[in-house]
Amino acid sequence: MRTLVFIPAWNEEASVASVIADVREALPEADLLVVDDGSGDATAERAREAGALVASLPFNQGLGAALQTGYLFALRNGYDACAHLDADGQHPAGEVARLLAEVTADRADLVIGSRYHAGAVSASDDYRPTFSRRVGTSVFRFFLTLATRQRFTDTTSGMRAANRRVMALFSLHYSPDFAEIESLQLAVRQGLRVEELPVRMLERAGGSSFLTPLRSAFFIFKGLVVLLVGQFRPRQAEAKQ
Amino acid sequence: MTGLVLAAAEAEPQVHLTSQTRIVAAAIAVFFMLLILDLIRRDRLQERYSVIWLLAGLGMLAGAAFPGLLELLADAMGVRNTNVALFSVVLLLLLGLALNFSVIMSRQAAQITRLAQERAIEQARRQSAGEAANGNGSAGEQSLQSKEQRL
Repeated sequence: MRTLVFIPAWNEEASVASVIADVREALPEADLLVVDDGSGDATAERAREAGALVASLPFNQGLGAALQTGYLFALRNGYDACAHLDADGQHPAGEVARLLAEVTADRADLVIGSRYHAGAVSASDDYRPTFSRRVGTSVFRFFLTLATRQRFTDTTSGMRAANRRVMALFSLHYSPDFAEIESLQLAVRQGLRVEELPVRMLERAGGSSFLTPLRSAFFIFKGLVVLLVGQFRPRQAEAKQ
Repeated sequence: MTGLVLAAAEAEPQVHLTSQTRIVAAAIAVFFMLLILDLIRRDRLQERYSVIWLLAGLGMLAGAAFPGLLELLADAMGVRNTNVALFSVVLLLLLGLALNFSVIMSRQAAQITRLAQERAIEQARRQSAGEAANGNGSAGEQSLQSKEQRL
């Protein structure tokens, strides 16, 4: 069983090395890839020094394209399972290992680490989302649940684990603008088993969130358009292998 | 009230293009098509994107040379003023063109993204191969390399 853990990173030189060390400790068997999304700082150098493989996009392409790069790499290089987590230190690698265990046990094709899931409540004292994030999250939670008829609590989580069926699907189709939500909708529509697992998340170790209230409003509007359009996308019987 | 307005409108004569408008339009159409040809000649515009513009220029010229066509069009649209019919049609055509370009742009954006991803993956693959060759690559990375050589 070969496993790839990839970390999309954009200007995260302050935290990327410690995230890599964290993953190495929790998942010593896994290969590590940092997808550097056109960073202007020393993210790629820090990641290489820390012993990870680095795939640098020549210019910033957005989170969706960075994640797709990871899925494509995992698919091409024959990995059986892959997982990704954020480079800002919010995601403890030990939790990623739990997501991967679900995939390797073949209980699900795609596992999402959820901050809000009932089981996470007790551990959530160390994670406090901002107001605009809470609003956005609840709006998306409602509409995604409506669209997929499956209950999702944390739609924008950047901590996931996946098997080869998901790699094949996501390396072909992955919305560059609206990565997290559309990919969930897509996976459910393609008949893949998507599962949420409660996880513990931490405050950001470095950098700052890109969400200001105005941006959040635009983000929500764009997300709703994407979800609506996604409902009319053709359904494929099976993603090409 | 509405009846009165309609009656007043009925009384107005149909508005045609003046000959001055027609001459100016014809001149612009010819100049426009020459510009397109020049852009192609200097490799600033690809032939496949020029067809639509040359057709637009020809349409402009036809409208200026045969105003009867425009009046037919205005009648078909139920518009009394030929100029208004002309504006409406041109506006619709431009909308269609703009949409066409958005479609082309989206396709090219997707192609650029894939190109960037391929480059990034190739870079990671070479790093992995280099580390394996230096003997300090982990077992996982060596198996990655041998897997790639088989592919």
